[in-house]
Amino acid sequence: MNEINYLLAAMLVMTISTYITRLTPFLLFGKGQESALLNYISKSTPPMVMTILVIYMLKEVEYLTFEIVYTFIALLVTTGLHIYKRNALLSIVSGTIVYMFFVQT
Amino acid sequence: MIRSALKISLPILFGFVPLGIAFGLLFQELGYPWYFASLMGIFVYAGAAQFMAIGLLSSGIGLLEIAISTFFLNSRHMFYGLAFLESFGNWNLRKLYLIFGLTDETYALMTTIKVPKNFTKERYYFFITLFAQIYWVLGCTIGALTANALSFNTNGMEFAATALFVVLLIEQWIKVKRLLPFIIAFIASFIALFFFIKHMLLVAIILSIGSIVLLRVIKTKSNE
Repeated sequence: MNEINYLLAAMLVMTISTYITRLTPFLLFGKGQESALLNYISKSTPPMVMTILVIYMLKEVEYLTFEIVYTFIALLVTTGLHIYKRNALLSIVSGTIVYMFFVQT
Repeated sequence: MIRSALKISLPILFGFVPLGIAFGLLFQELGYPWYFASLMGIFVYAGAAQFMAIGLLSSGIGLLEIAISTFFLNSRHMFYGLAFLESFGNWNLRKLYLIFGLTDETYALMTTIKVPKNFTKERYYFFITLFAQIYWVLGCTIGALTANALSFNTNGMEFAATALFVVLLIEQWIKVKRLLPFIIAFIASFIALFFFIKHMLLVAIILSIGSIVLLRVIKTKSNE
């Protein structure tokens, strides 16, 4: 029972911590008080975040191994299909299937 | 509107369900009842932090440390809200939930898509956010329930999250058509990887935003 209490307390603490990080900008910058600079930041952030997230996801790939080869192939499938068909589901599912095929064989 | 939001949120399904399953599987090793994995998905609802929590919980670390590590791990989210100051609408329960559900994936999707003209933005976002969380909780639950009886080999499924971000990166490229943010973020990521690998995400975002603000200030100064 003690362990369950510990887990519940940990969950509560994590929930609050996470919520604070997401709530902060809304508390700091009210509606209608956007400046030109803030607007510029919020417009430029999505492409930057996407670039960073992709690199973050790939940072564990070990280079000079077979892993980098099949990761590259899977990325190529995803990218190629997406440029060709622009169907997000198709690109994601196909790339993942290719990747899983290499991982599991 | 619900059908349209469901359809557009489907890429998140393929990112969240496998990742959630992986979380549920690992979480079960702590030995708690399965539904705590679902509760983590419902209340904490933060992918990276939940994975980190498994390690922290197994070491029996103090609550303050858990609070601080979670805060720092998720502090990149502080920059996400900036994109939605206007479009999350007025303060009400829906807005509080939209903020609660602002994860990497929902941020990435909602800043990339165009809300169909006949729908109100905040309502459309609400359904996307809700569906995304359902996918996540579903994944966590499936993982925890099947921890001992999984017959399907999920190895490599985690690539779906990478593929999702790649797709959204391409979409951002089509939308933005300016090379500068991508180059800045690329350089910032590698600086962060080499010097601050533990806090790579946060450092890379701060460096990127800092650089872009600096460039903007220099540009306006030179125009004066």
